[in-house]
Amino acid sequence: MPRPYEVVYIFDPALDEETIGSKLNSFHALIQTEGAEAPVLNHWGKRTLAYQIDRHDTGYYVVANFDTEPTRLPEFERALKLDGSVIRHLVVLNDEPPTPPQIPGKSDSNEEEDE
Amino acid sequence: MSRQRKGDPLAELRIRIVDYKDEKLLSRFLTDRGKILPRRLTGVSARHQRQIAVAIKRARYLALLPYIKGYTG
Repeated sequence: MPRPYEVVYIFDPALDEETIGSKLNSFHALIQTEGAEAPVLNHWGKRTLAYQIDRHDTGYYVVANFDTEPTRLPEFERALKLDGSVIRHLVVLNDEPPTPPQIPGKSDSNEEEDE
Repeated sequence: MSRQRKGDPLAELRIRIVDYKDEKLLSRFLTDRGKILPRRLTGVSARHQRQIAVAIKRARYLALLPYIKGYTG
């Protein structure tokens, strides 16, 4: 049974967006199941890291949301680990979408996931 | 003698599930050195305190929050 996941990638900031896009496509090919929707991507862009990682002070952040079979994940994470341009990644189960960051003065009662 | 018990600040913000990507919110629950504040000081519910702790640890791993604030090299 597919389950919802969220992945945060931190790419080497020296890469251009085109390369990052093609890398994301190749990673997501590993978790794509037939009939499933394409991952929802959210490019945060370059951000300053709170501490240095492998001599990098900044990183290019991308958040991806998708549904996939848990059995696909080991292979997916292996590909991420082997790719030197991904300086860090985090995969979490997203079955309870968090309350989105606050927009002051806005009140909503519906329980929608972020985006 | 008796201290005033304040309500859960997260419940007031209408947050049900804490987001580890919201480092602005999480930084409210850190000391000035970046340690996680105890529940006695944050005043949040036990459920939210657990969520905050996990969220802060995830945010640290993603370099959204420092492990130690003000530490250089």
